[in-house]
Amino acid sequence: MDADKFNTLRKGLLEFLILGIVSSGRVYAADMMQRLSKTDFATQEGTLYPLLSKMRREQLLDYEWQESESGPPRKYYKLAATGRRQLAEFRAYWQSLTTLIDEVGKPCKP
Amino acid sequence: MQTVIHISLSGHATSFALDEDAHRALRAYLDRARSRLKRDPDRDEILRDLEQSIGDKLANLLQAQARVVDRKEIDSILDRVGAVDGDNADAAAAQPDRPRRLCRIEEGKWLFGVCQGLAAYSSIRVDWVRSIFVIVSVFTGGIPILIYLVLMFALPVVQSNDEYFASLHSHSGAA
Repeated sequence: MDADKFNTLRKGLLEFLILGIVSSGRVYAADMMQRLSKTDFATQEGTLYPLLSKMRREQLLDYEWQESESGPPRKYYKLAATGRRQLAEFRAYWQSLTTLIDEVGKPCKP
Repeated sequence: MQTVIHISLSGHATSFALDEDAHRALRAYLDRARSRLKRDPDRDEILRDLEQSIGDKLANLLQAQARVVDRKEIDSILDRVGAVDGDNADAAAAQPDRPRRLCRIEEGKWLFGVCQGLAAYSSIRVDWVRSIFVIVSVFTGGIPILIYLVLMFALPVVQSNDEYFASLHSHSGAA
């Protein structure tokens, strides 16, 4: 398999997966990495932090600081209105894509 | 015995003790992240988050023991944090290697490292640079000595050849 092609695909999809994770409630960066760690989308801080801050600039996400019992306060992320809308659009689009991918190779019926 | 350097990391109240090698590796990581994020409007915030995350992992490793962190330990932490992507593809294309600049180099110096710096800058062996320096001084009545004195005050200092060349390549590297 051409790993590079799939890598590019995954890179583009990561943002929507994060929207999906954040939609489940308030999460902080380590939760996201934990959630993704067992998947093909396993991600490190070096990639995640710049992405989160881009998504926040695009007003998809919002965060607030919260004290933690151990160590410094953490940023907890939640979906902003734009993010919620975009996630819904993405899910609908993804649905239509999988249908298309399933159908596109089948022989035409007479 | 290496020098121990105490550093503080964003968000962490207590400082961490690193040996010289470990400190250099951490600084190289952060410098590289900073240059990768050069065009990111949230650069400083992302760097603070990264620092905090490195601090979390250090605190977790040390479990409140007061001891010095070595190179291997910091490398494994930096490996887990992962290199910063940034918009490296464009940044690397726009800025290949930085032009070389003249520095004084501490490691292997005889006097003030000016000849070491000239050698690194020109890729000529330092013995040659020193020989030429001495010969020209003898024949010109010491003009190179004056130049040496000027450079001694004017040039920035780096610690070693490794560091000098690393600073030239900090924009390129694996994308």
